Amino acid sequence: MLQKAVKIGHSSHVATLDVRPQLLDALSALRERVAAARFPLPLPGAPRARANRDELLAQLDDYLVPRLRAPEAPLLAVVGGSTGAGKSTLVNSLVGRQVSEAGVLRPTTRTPVLVCHPEDQHWFSGVRVLPHLTRVWVTRKDGDGRDRAAAAAGGDNDRALRVETADTLPRGLALLDAPDVDSLLADNRVLAAELICAADVWVMVTTASRYADAVPWHLLRTAKEHDATLVTVLDRVPHQVVGEVSRQYGALLTKAGLGEVPRFTVPELPESAGGGGLLPASAVEPLRVWLAHRAQDPSSRRQVIERTAYGVLGSLNARMPELAGAVAAQYAAALRLISAVDDAYEREHARVRDRLRAGAVLAGDALKRWRAYPLDCGPDELLDAISESLEALLLCAVTAADERIDDAWRHEPAARAPGLARREGRYERAPYEDAERPEHRIGVAVRRWRRELEEHAEDEVRALDRVDKGALPDADVVAALLATAVLGGRRARSAGETLAERIGAHGALRLRDRGNRLLADYLDKVLGAERERRLAPLDALDVSPEPQAELIAALSVLQKER
Amino acid sequence: MTAVTAVTGHTDHTGHSDRTDHSDRTGHTDLTDQADRTDDSSRSDDSSCADRAGCEGHVEGRPGEAEAGDSAGPAAHAARAAAGTTGTAGPGEPDESRESGESGGSGDLAGVRAARAARAGQDGENGTRAGHGERAAEVVWDDGLIARRVTPGTAAADADGELRAAMRARAARALEPPAGPVAALPPATGPSSTYTADASSSCTAGSAPSYTAGAASSSLYEGTSSSYNAGSSSSYNAGTSSPYAAGSSSSYSSSSHSGAATSSAHTTVAYEGSLRGRLEALRELIGLSRARLDSATLAEAGQVLDEAAARRRLSDRHTVVALAGATGSGKSTLFNALAGVAISETGVRRPTTAAPIGCSWTDGAAPLLDRLGIPGRLRRRPLQGPDAQALQGLVLVDLPDHDSAADGHREHVDRILGLVDAVIWVVDPEKYADAMLHERYLRPMAGHAEVMFIVLNQMDRLPGDAADLVLDDLRRLLDEDGIALGEHGEPGATVLALSALTGDGVGELRESLGQFTRERGAAARRVEADLDAAAARLRPVYASGVGSASARGAIGLSEEARDEFADRLGEAVGAVAAGQAAERAWRRHANKACSAPWLRLWRWYEAKRFPYHTGKHVVPPPVDKEATARARVEHAVRTVADAAATGLPTPWGQAVREAAARGAQGLPEALDELALRAALPGGRPPRPGWWPVAVLAQAVMTMLQVVGGLWLMGQIVGVSEPNLGVPVLLMVLGIVGGPLVEWASRMAARGPARRYGYEAERRLREAAAGCGRARVLDPVAAELLRYREVREQYVRVAQRG
Repeated sequence: MLQKAVKIGHSSHVATLDVRPQLLDALSALRERVAAARFPLPLPGAPRARANRDELLAQLDDYLVPRLRAPEAPLLAVVGGSTGAGKSTLVNSLVGRQVSEAGVLRPTTRTPVLVCHPEDQHWFSGVRVLPHLTRVWVTRKDGDGRDRAAAAAGGDNDRALRVETADTLPRGLALLDAPDVDSLLADNRVLAAELICAADVWVMVTTASRYADAVPWHLLRTAKEHDATLVTVLDRVPHQVVGEVSRQYGALLTKAGLGEVPRFTVPELPESAGGGGLLPASAVEPLRVWLAHRAQDPSSRRQVIERTAYGVLGSLNARMPELAGAVAAQYAAALRLISAVDDAYEREHARVRDRLRAGAVLAGDALKRWRAYPLDCGPDELLDAISESLEALLLCAVTAADERIDDAWRHEPAARAPGLARREGRYERAPYEDAERPEHRIGVAVRRWRRELEEHAEDEVRALDRVDKGALPDADVVAALLATAVLGGRRARSAGETLAERIGAHGALRLRDRGNRLLADYLDKVLGAERERRLAPLDALDVSPEPQAELIAALSVLQKER
Repeated sequence: MTAVTAVTGHTDHTGHSDRTDHSDRTGHTDLTDQADRTDDSSRSDDSSCADRAGCEGHVEGRPGEAEAGDSAGPAAHAARAAAGTTGTAGPGEPDESRESGESGGSGDLAGVRAARAARAGQDGENGTRAGHGERAAEVVWDDGLIARRVTPGTAAADADGELRAAMRARAARALEPPAGPVAALPPATGPSSTYTADASSSCTAGSAPSYTAGAASSSLYEGTSSSYNAGSSSSYNAGTSSPYAAGSSSSYSSSSHSGAATSSAHTTVAYEGSLRGRLEALRELIGLSRARLDSATLAEAGQVLDEAAARRRLSDRHTVVALAGATGSGKSTLFNALAGVAISETGVRRPTTAAPIGCSWTDGAAPLLDRLGIPGRLRRRPLQGPDAQALQGLVLVDLPDHDSAADGHREHVDRILGLVDAVIWVVDPEKYADAMLHERYLRPMAGHAEVMFIVLNQMDRLPGDAADLVLDDLRRLLDEDGIALGEHGEPGATVLALSALTGDGVGELRESLGQFTRERGAAARRVEADLDAAAARLRPVYASGVGSASARGAIGLSEEARDEFADRLGEAVGAVAAGQAAERAWRRHANKACSAPWLRLWRWYEAKRFPYHTGKHVVPPPVDKEATARARVEHAVRTVADAAATGLPTPWGQAVREAAARGAQGLPEALDELALRAALPGGRPPRPGWWPVAVLAQAVMTMLQVVGGLWLMGQIVGVSEPNLGVPVLLMVLGIVGGPLVEWASRMAARGPARRYGYEAERRLREAAAGCGRARVLDPVAAELLRYREVREQYVRVAQRG
């Protein structure tokens, strides 16, 4: 049968999937969208969503796109299963020689091994599938190739894929020995998942003592969800219990709705434990025949490919909305954070305005100065005191807003994102950059405000058309009176009166108007700047609602193209 | 110091009819002893006391229960164990013990117990076995397609709801407190005739009373202090199940059992000094921090206490060991191999064992098994023989698997793992590197290494030297998990390879198990490991986070921070400005009084010309409302609170901030009022004594000028004889002297003016600072003190040995 298969070849005869370029385009667009999805906020669902995205991306890159682009490429059967299930032994036995290292120490397989017919090698040597894995080749002629392969793989620490060729394998079929799905090494687990996602045929290996494990069952259920072409192998079954275990396993599969999945049983033989040996060909013959048939019979090959490919396409219907939902959750969380900031600053803004109206700036030192003015206090001192008081008021508003935000954010898991959590230990980071402190920034703003106020006062004084130049009021005095009148509320009514006496009612009114506007401007500016500062790290995370819509849009385009 | 409590018959409260009698064949003869009655009555006093502490089932009741348990004897143990492991079972327990007290008192033989001799309960400890860390354990398992599988185990529900209902029904029969001879009972433990349903009364039950009861024996009763306050304690029953977390167990010397009396005694677990101290400290720690920390944080620690107390009340002759492992690893086969008979079903069907099965080598283990929730129909006895002799005291529990697709199994496992004294992890060559085993169980339990056996089963499946390779690899993995291996005589987990099927190596396991059981230290070590784990988990809320070493010194308010706070308050009330204004006003007045008349005249003219420049027209200011700068006060409080909270763990920092914020309420108003009172009296400032002299001198100068002028005038007119010298001199003297005097008095006025201003400033500042201290700094300091106290307590909890 093998001979015949080789003679037939496959590419010319194999019916290809009917793939329109539009579908591929839609798929590429979708892939880009998926790749662009980010989950920067540490929400409870974020790690899950990140994993989902990576998984989906891997499956698109490793399987769906290459498969639809090149439907004639060989079938890839990935052998996956728990640690110690005998995956490598199974692959070796299927190939008929030692291509993947088997052993008693777990986890055994750390570098996945791909075995294909020599003429199929070009399909796997490039980056058509599994582009993230570095290829490691072994041009082997004799039995010691394994060691050299190990050496080559050992040098390349990050993820590698060893490609082996064996002419005992029928053309059009490639076997991939994956690491354990429940490996103690997290990387191995991720890699295993990725490899399984790249498969046309999922070969799930389990054993007599493992067939009820939760982990493989989860995989089986996933396979069912994705409607992948699935084969299960019950490995390492002691002779005496073959019947019973097989029956049990069958019952479990049926119960899980996987009753029609082809099931192969491989008995436990000394070879399967011993590491070195291969299982006798008879033990794996049914599986080999099944796989070869899938690879070579055009209709069943087509069926296999279509089933898995469309299964993955179909699974997008569920997975994309999930991803979009996670993106939306990110955005919602970001929105909550932002609104907490906005709310805090708005409330502080309102509070400051109320206080200004009530003349809270003219209190404490400033009030004492004002009461002493003009007998025991100069205009400069008065203006100084008022500026300081205004500074204190603004600083108080900003810190109060920050505190409010901290309170609100404490209950938000999303606020624990690395860039956002800043408040704790702010006094510990000892030599604070001056520009980093709100005191500094507010001080600068208030000084600028004062300068502008003084300029206004000077302008007004200069504009005064007095005959008697000597009777011109001092600009300092005007500025001080203006500041007092603007910031003092009711308690500084006399300041307004004095001002009017000095520069005329009209001028005083105009000046006060300008002063009020100036103050409002600066208030907005200071609080706005602080708010922006607070939001900057959040903005830097760039959480926006668009990706959600884009994901769904890409999905709907894809659905239309199918 | 020996507890001799003989159990005779014990009605099983679990409601399983097939196991009604668990007799501890020890003290039958005591039953009829009259002394029992007296003992009983005194005991029921204790139980009633326990009621007061323990009704409502809150945890604060636990200490009381502990006491009751010791006094009322094993019947109460059974009742308690039957009540399950959840905290909510609390209400039933004291009632149960009371009931037993009643039955005993009335001579009901079916009832229970005969307490004898000296009872050294070594009460007071609320020890515990933890069932925590679940939340921690759940997080690891999330890596995609494959790992989505592991559904986090939920807190195991107790399966004995109906049982508790039954107990409550019994509780309804409230009993009369017996009026037994109670000698030297401290008031707290005195007989209480009513069922006090007052959970909140922090019942200090029996603080180290020693009383003699009855004729037979003096019962030495050791310190039970339960300063467990009410509050959030009801939350303590959260999450019973799950593996425990890090920590490690430590020194323990098995409790002293004295002589003949003990040989037949039913002793309870006694925690050795340091452990006891730590448990005590933990209880106080919880009490101290309840108002500051959320109950969820404390719940786990509370559970440690609960479980330690629950275990302490039970037999120390028994060591409860669970067989845990993956499905198909051969737990049941090993169980059978150890028991010598096939009592647990084995097979190829996966998963095989669905419910835990218990097997006790020695009698009297019923309360322990009750606590595990293993029903009577699943309790077995081993094959009697020399093998069984070696394992005296062992209570073995065969668990279901933890990794099969059947979720219920994992819940069972997680729950029971939290309650047993030791665990034998059974792994096999195929599964020894499973991620689930290591990540979900072994790593979080690394601190429990001393009460852990790891057994590599199914050696027969490995050819030749592969067995050693696998065993070495297993050791390596365990080492990576952080589990100390008990090699070279160091304490740690025991790793063995065996084949339960062929029996290879089982003897070795039996031997080390026997040794382990005979030491009788497992329960205490387990509790210690739990305690370590709880302390480690509480660390972030008690120990300051980053750079704790440097922060430790900085905890509290520094002098600078206090001064800065006072300064800010001073600014808020305007102390500096007030001082300056006062100083200037003083000088102004002085100058005015002492200046030369001509200068005054000129100034007056100036003022007349430019009235705005000097502002003479300003009316005296009205009394200001809200003279204090609100914003400054607020900011000052916030700054000082932040400074005080620096270096504190978040909850405590928050508490400090809240205390400061509370104190700041009304502070501005108080400062307003204060500023009025503290300000210098208005009007003209006081005059110094030299002032009249200066005024006089100024007048003299003027007079001199006038006299000189008149004189000159006289000469010009010819009234007097011409003599230019003297009058000119006089005039010049007057003209020069006037400003001179003015200048001199101005100089002289400087000092007093400054003093005057300073005084004004000081009065305001000090008043403000005093107000701030009383309202803000003191509460903050109190809060800091509280934290320091709690921290010390925590250090006591965390410190081993």
